[in-house]
Amino acid sequence: MFAYITRRILVSILTIVAASFLMYTLTAVSGDPLEELRASNAINKEELIQRRIDLLNLDIPPVLRWFHWLGGVGGCLVPFAFECTLGNSVEGFSVAQLLPPAMASTVRLVTVATVLAIILGVAVGMITALRQNSAFDISITFLSFFLYSLPSFLIAVLLKEFGAIGFNNFIARGDPPQIGLFWVIAITLLSAIVWAMLLGGDARKRIITFVSAGVATAGALIYINVTDFFRVPHLGPVLLFLLIGLTVVGMTALTANLKNRRALLAAGIAGAVAYICYFALQGLFNVSSMWTLMILAVGAIAGSMLIGWIVSLFGPDKGQVIRAATFTGFFASSFVVLDRFMQAWPAYINHPRINGRPMATAQASTTGYTADIWGTGLDQLMHFLLPTISLTLISFAFYTRFARAGLLEVFNQDYIRTARAKGLSEHTIVMRHAFRNMLIPLTTIIAADVGTLLGGALITERVFAIAGMGRMFDVGLQKLDLNPIMGYFLVIAILAIAFNFIADLMYAVLDPRVRVK
Amino acid sequence: MAESTNLPVEEQVKSENQWTLILKRFVTNPLAMGSLVVFIGIWVFSVVMVGLGPISGIWELNHRTPYPQGAPNGAPTLEHPFGQDTIGQDYFAMTMRGIQNSYLVMLLIGGVGTVIGTVVGAVAGYFRGWIDALLMRITDVFIVIPALVIGAVVGRISGDMGIWILGTLLGAFLWMSIARLVRGEFLTLREREFVDAARVAGASDARIIFKHILPNAVGVVIVASSLLMAAAILTETGLSYLGYGIRPPEVSLGRLISDNQTAFANRPWLYWWPALFIVTPALAVNFVGDGLREAFDPRQKRFSRRRTREQS
Amino acid sequence: MSTRFKSSRKFSATIAASAAAALVLAGCTTNGGGDGDDNGDDTTSGTVTIATTNAANSLNGATSDHNLNTNGMIDYITGNGWGSSGPGTFLNTRANADAEIESNRDETNGSFELVSEDPLTVEYTLNENAVWSDGTEMSVDDMLLTWVINSGWFAGEDADGEPASYFSLAGSTAGLDTTDFPEIDREARSLTITYDEPYVDWELVNMLGKPAHVFADQVDMTAEELTDFFTDAEPGYNEDETLEAIGSFFNNGYAITEMPSDEGLLVAAGPYVVSDFQANDGGYIEFSANPNWQGDAPGVDTLIISFIGDASTQIQQLANGEVDIIEPQADANTVQTLESNGAEIITGDQLSYDHVDLSFRGVFEDERIRQAFLHTIPRQAILDSIVTPTNPEAQILNSQMYVPSNGDDYVAATSENGYEMFDEPDIEAAQELLNGETPEVRILYAADNPNRVNAFRLIQQSAEEAGFVIVDEGDPEWSPRLGSEDYDAAIFGWISPGVGFASLPQIWQTGGGGNYNNYSNSDIDALVDESQTLIEDPERMLEIMTEIDTITREDGYGVPLFQSPGLVAHNGTVDGILYNPNQTGVIHNILEWSL
Repeated sequence: MFAYITRRILVSILTIVAASFLMYTLTAVSGDPLEELRASNAINKEELIQRRIDLLNLDIPPVLRWFHWLGGVGGCLVPFAFECTLGNSVEGFSVAQLLPPAMASTVRLVTVATVLAIILGVAVGMITALRQNSAFDISITFLSFFLYSLPSFLIAVLLKEFGAIGFNNFIARGDPPQIGLFWVIAITLLSAIVWAMLLGGDARKRIITFVSAGVATAGALIYINVTDFFRVPHLGPVLLFLLIGLTVVGMTALTANLKNRRALLAAGIAGAVAYICYFALQGLFNVSSMWTLMILAVGAIAGSMLIGWIVSLFGPDKGQVIRAATFTGFFASSFVVLDRFMQAWPAYINHPRINGRPMATAQASTTGYTADIWGTGLDQLMHFLLPTISLTLISFAFYTRFARAGLLEVFNQDYIRTARAKGLSEHTIVMRHAFRNMLIPLTTIIAADVGTLLGGALITERVFAIAGMGRMFDVGLQKLDLNPIMGYFLVIAILAIAFNFIADLMYAVLDPRVRVK
Repeated sequence: MAESTNLPVEEQVKSENQWTLILKRFVTNPLAMGSLVVFIGIWVFSVVMVGLGPISGIWELNHRTPYPQGAPNGAPTLEHPFGQDTIGQDYFAMTMRGIQNSYLVMLLIGGVGTVIGTVVGAVAGYFRGWIDALLMRITDVFIVIPALVIGAVVGRISGDMGIWILGTLLGAFLWMSIARLVRGEFLTLREREFVDAARVAGASDARIIFKHILPNAVGVVIVASSLLMAAAILTETGLSYLGYGIRPPEVSLGRLISDNQTAFANRPWLYWWPALFIVTPALAVNFVGDGLREAFDPRQKRFSRRRTREQS
Repeated sequence: MSTRFKSSRKFSATIAASAAAALVLAGCTTNGGGDGDDNGDDTTSGTVTIATTNAANSLNGATSDHNLNTNGMIDYITGNGWGSSGPGTFLNTRANADAEIESNRDETNGSFELVSEDPLTVEYTLNENAVWSDGTEMSVDDMLLTWVINSGWFAGEDADGEPASYFSLAGSTAGLDTTDFPEIDREARSLTITYDEPYVDWELVNMLGKPAHVFADQVDMTAEELTDFFTDAEPGYNEDETLEAIGSFFNNGYAITEMPSDEGLLVAAGPYVVSDFQANDGGYIEFSANPNWQGDAPGVDTLIISFIGDASTQIQQLANGEVDIIEPQADANTVQTLESNGAEIITGDQLSYDHVDLSFRGVFEDERIRQAFLHTIPRQAILDSIVTPTNPEAQILNSQMYVPSNGDDYVAATSENGYEMFDEPDIEAAQELLNGETPEVRILYAADNPNRVNAFRLIQQSAEEAGFVIVDEGDPEWSPRLGSEDYDAAIFGWISPGVGFASLPQIWQTGGGGNYNNYSNSDIDALVDESQTLIEDPERMLEIMTEIDTITREDGYGVPLFQSPGLVAHNGTVDGILYNPNQTGVIHNILEWSL
């Protein structure tokens, strides 16, 4: 194992070195970094040109300059022995200093997009596989092909125009903002159809789903219209109670089985505690910092697991019970937090810097806006929502297709047939046997996908004016500022290789047949 | 020599049957056939309209000449069905020209990428050993840099050298997924009996690779290259959007979007027409690729989109 | 939540755990006194947000590495006269209501006067109440530091005989490099400098930039000690450690990638101090009013400059109320969209202008061919296709010396210099001059700049009509080719300095660094030399400039085409916005803004 890892790391380093040579020389020959100075009519032009040549060693040919650059980077690998430097930008900044703040927003954007794409993609993909050749399956297949063929800048432009400016106009227009009758009907029908297709079943069951989903949606929309929900959103004790109740039932059904009394009990207790916490914690929430919330989150998960564990002591199916309690606890407490964010919303949109137009078209936060954790949290959300959507859509289609094909393939395996023959419930077969095996090849995909997303971030960051690494590369390439470009390259190359490496290890962990050698 | 001619003939007969079968399966797939018609149709339409190279088309307006605005705000009129841009250039002619450029780049990327990828993959998979190791390490080196990033750099180098060079260079940096797929296919195929037979018969390595094994791997190549082409459209328009792809005075659909996105609110046609002609061909190629995959491999055993992606 | 532990309170261990958790929680909360309703009224009342294209990266735009327009904006409102002369320094360079550039004296913190013309002697005096934003009194030390940096007193040659200096200036030391070490009167807070040679732009020399006490801190001295050190140190470049440290602080000390923790970097002489910063495109810089500002209180308490590189994003931000004022790259789409969004738009001209230059090396050695070619350039058509859609009132630029932002001088020069004759192409005249010849002309331009491509196409069409054979030398890498022999005509841009005349020799004199045309005329050389020595003689200056303009026109040097259009759009929140053609942009009159 140790030898394997060492060898992998060595090979990876060599790969990065070779790729860096490719990148460096290609970029260096792609233009003239002195262009703007040459065309200037500054009095001391010659001096300025000479100074830049000295700063960036432009008098050395690119191939040799690459060795120089590599020497600086190599110094970082050997602590204390050599000086570690990633070079300077045209403006004389050390690249090592420029990278970290740029990395923060890119990593956040790409991570959230990846996680969302995986969760949504795998979920939708599995459902389409289970309802193979149904109308839902075909619609999703078309949708995913469509998303495959949709460049992210097209989506981004639309999101900004309609998602941000349109939404803000909508919020600002009405008093209170009203969803028009046409949209109420359209959304109701759409939701009814989607739910009916999703849950499937015979004609009678479909009609029941259709009607109940329609009624629920229409009710929710009317409630939103009546209560000025967009400007004063709220869950409150009643809605929260309903939501947590639904979570208890839903999570139990998903992780165990509604007939499993102990699972239901554990989930119920976890839900009840979360509901009590809603009343108990408001005071603490008001003075919360980032760390408070972190600790509370850890506490919530640990607490739910504990509840599950205690209840599970009284019978079999330990895992299911604990899982039901944990998931319920997690989601129920998320709703409690969501409620608190909603409470902060009116103050947020009425803030003079927001001025009633919450959805942002650009930048990572509202300039000059200061508030407590809830306000800044909302501010972050309003700025990252649209870019994250546009980035997620790139991968979503792909994970959907992948999960669908994967699950179908697994269903053809002998062990699934065996499981069916044994009379195991469909639920157990899918969640226990098929799901896990479908995930195995997924690990290798994520690695490749992260590279695609990092590339996609180039466009997303440009369109949404987010000061991330993609912008750093973009601006660097326009000015032919080699060292920041190479800094960017180093980060994404290391990320790509690290993800590949982790994927290989996960593959080995998930699939006992693969032995790491 | 007498024996050696025997086997390939048999192979040939068999593969001809296979080909008919594949063709039949493809032709009877309405979605794939429809997409193929749309895909080719768009190109033919643009050629008929604005011509190709020196041949002029039936559309008389030039994509570079500013015309007086036919309607306030450059709105679409009979004379300018797609409207006019700010300085009055005919948006229909520009869009058509952009379609041709997109197709050209796509075919160049697809062609160059497929050729390089196939050769690298075939040689690596056939010879195995250190050649394989070396070629695959080289592939790794190219893969480390995301396509859009290397594309931006390559585009910056070649953007002003014309579309042919841009497309060719981009293709030279986007062959890695095909190389990996072909290599995998060759690793399996080279163990098959017909290869041993050819070798016994004294066929050269080159002959075995290109005459014996490659025809059997052609399905993988065709499907992968159709997917590469679909990705190529998005790469080209994305790069042009960022300003690193096709440069003015030549037209790119991506560039049209980025140049005119400020006008989205009051002149939406400047956005929707190019958008339509980016998405439609890409969608068509994707469906064609999917149809090809089903035609070659109806049970989705040998290669799937999933594996294609997995390898990249 | 952690209190979920309560549900299993029979386990004493859990109680202990929850108590511990509560303790930890208590340590991890904010002191937000209850409701956390921190609307921050103090920071947001009277906030104006501006979007600008380039991201700022230094609080000192006077260095060669950080000579960016956004840094210049910071210099302007924080009173760093090294980078940009703004309120609080001795000078305030801004535009008036007619968008004409003016360099006015600003007496908030001090004043200067001409003591004698020969030798040129100028005395700078600080006001008694002049004070930095951190409360430190301004002193002669501050002025001396400015002089040291901008005079090249400590510049010389390094060991290899190469020119060397501790300070990497974006500008040049021209002018102050001929002065002696200044006379200092600490009591009177005055500093007097004497020039060895007359210097035409003496009135533009600013003696106040960054505080000396902050620089002195870097080398563990007081400001006074620093002055003594400067006085005693030997002039020239001697690799002195102290100067090395001061130089490197000047060069890089003010470069920022995050809000600096060193308060000293923020000390300002102008009406605003930096109060927050986030680097890179998408970031922003925030300014608050300088509490120690001696002038009238500004009408805007907080100013935020956001860095948004993409014009369409700026426009959307304005439409969405995220910013109040934008200055995007101007094109016709932009104007139309802004109009339909209901934004208020002010259009104007920038100081940069496009021109066609003829190289005096190849085919254009013959003056007849030059004149013929200039007659074919369709200047009105170029203006109509490139600028008019953005700025319908735009006019052809008719001077190589002045731009309309120079006001009356431009009018006076254009009435005499004769460029009007080139307004419309005169193909017949050109054909007559060519007399049936078909000279080949290679035209160099930036192939990736649509405006230049357009101009080229129009010129090509017109020149071919007259019989020229035009070779398209369009090249995205055009700039390195300037001054070479592989083109005959070049279409490119200059930036007019707006005020001042010190850059004249650069372009017009024989062998000047920007004289790519190999142009040489002894009359012009003499006129340029004379112009550099004029003191307080605007009439003679106008005569000289007009004469240079006329002679170069007669010599067929080239023609100016048009000024690049510029625009400011705002949402009406702010009153008193004026267009400003120079790089400081719209904030030039921020002190006159009101909400």
